[in-house]
Amino acid sequence: MISLLDIVGPVMVGPSSSHTAGACRLSRVARALLEEEPVEARFELHSAFAKTMRGHGTDRALVAGALGMEVDDPRLKDALEIAKARGLKYALKPRNMGPEAHPNSVAITLAGPSRTIAVLGASIGGGMIEIREVDGFPVSLSAKDPCLLLFYEDRPGVVMRASEIIGRRGINIASMEVLRRGKGDQAFMRIDLDAPLPPEDVDLLRGMPGVRRVHVLDRVAGGAPIT
Amino acid sequence: MATLNTFAELLESAERSGQPLDAIFLEAESVERELPPERVFQIFRDRWAVMKDSVRRGLAGGKSFSGLVGGDARKVMEHTARGDIAGGHLVAKCIAYSIAVLEENSRMGIIVAAPTAGAAGMVPGTLLALAEERGFDDDFASRGLVVAGGFGALVAGKAELSGAAGGCQAEQGVGAAMAAGALTFLLGGTPGMSVHAAALTLQNTLGLACDPVAGLVEVPCVVRNGFTAMLALTGAQTALAGVESVIPMDEVVEAMIKIGEAMPRSLKETADGGLAMTPTGCRIRNELYQIR
Repeated sequence: MISLLDIVGPVMVGPSSSHTAGACRLSRVARALLEEEPVEARFELHSAFAKTMRGHGTDRALVAGALGMEVDDPRLKDALEIAKARGLKYALKPRNMGPEAHPNSVAITLAGPSRTIAVLGASIGGGMIEIREVDGFPVSLSAKDPCLLLFYEDRPGVVMRASEIIGRRGINIASMEVLRRGKGDQAFMRIDLDAPLPPEDVDLLRGMPGVRRVHVLDRVAGGAPIT
Repeated sequence: MATLNTFAELLESAERSGQPLDAIFLEAESVERELPPERVFQIFRDRWAVMKDSVRRGLAGGKSFSGLVGGDARKVMEHTARGDIAGGHLVAKCIAYSIAVLEENSRMGIIVAAPTAGAAGMVPGTLLALAEERGFDDDFASRGLVVAGGFGALVAGKAELSGAAGGCQAEQGVGAAMAAGALTFLLGGTPGMSVHAAALTLQNTLGLACDPVAGLVEVPCVVRNGFTAMLALTGAQTALAGVESVIPMDEVVEAMIKIGEAMPRSLKETADGGLAMTPTGCRIRNELYQIR
């Protein structure tokens, strides 16, 4: 389902919706998943992304997203200098991800003082993005709508308890994805919500037995300008 | 657009409800975004204001990041002001305003993608030119913007709108088709005429390569927005006169997708073919990147 406001939009710093705005949004998702100020960022760019990187300001946009800037932030074009001033170390390099990968794919690794996150995503046109991997787990994520990512130990009852916490708040689950590496091994759950879950409920999810971490993504990549 | 996926469905809905295209699209967006239609329209009004401002800044601004482009929109306007014009004020403004937005874009200025940044010129350029020449107010022009957005959304539901996936036809072709549909709407055309205008415009951009010199959104992208603005105007002019597209819009979109798949990667935003690989294109690239 494509929104009109994604077509006449985003309002953005030029010059390329897929290579500037989309790149910034991919990096914003990585930053949101890291949940702390990154001190180091590594970007590996495939195909068209790598070829036109400097000319499209992709390098600045990726760094700007890691710094938390939005796509219409006029400071985006000075992101490389701002990163230096804020002590964010960054590296960009090309990486051939094979013929099957989307030409605008990027692998982002962000490190903060206490953790590291790896995200693989693609910029799919007009500033829209798709996250395809989080810490090695295959996902499909636009990051437009409110969404929860749970990493946990595979055991009975986790899905039920999680949906119970969300249901008690009266929030509708739009869609859901459950994956695991193997029986009893690390498991992953993506829950798309029609409204953001209040922090106290997120804490309940974090406190569930077997849950390692819970990430909250609340419209970091161009959700509805709601008010 | 919960139940609106094709242009055929759009025309059916317009026929059944008797509602204008902008009302149909606003209602669909309102349901999708869970916002009142007035709020959605307000966002379009706000984006229209940014678009107008990007034209203004574009006409006033200087050279691009690389120095390859900038100042052409102003040249066209100054030439027009001297009264020495080939195609009338509307034509001159459509060209100049469309180029102005892209010049602003090439300076990393703030623009509104429509549907992409590299194709952001035609929709504001042609709509603003028409609004000025006809005395349309911002509310009415913003209704045209809603129609443009709706047309783009219907195409984007089927095709990826990026040069990397579909070549320039998927960016400027679609942008021009959006503008053509909106111009026809603002000029009082029927919903059928708007869709024909979009189909006629899009089919005349099929196969358009994305071959930017040095990989920049500058050559040929910037002036091309002025040229494809003319296609949008031609689409509106012909459709309003009753010219119909033999191939329905939904099928033109399918053709665009298949052509995009058949196009080599070298012509899809990689700067590995076409104009980018001409002797001059290569020289510019080498000069730019040796300096940096």
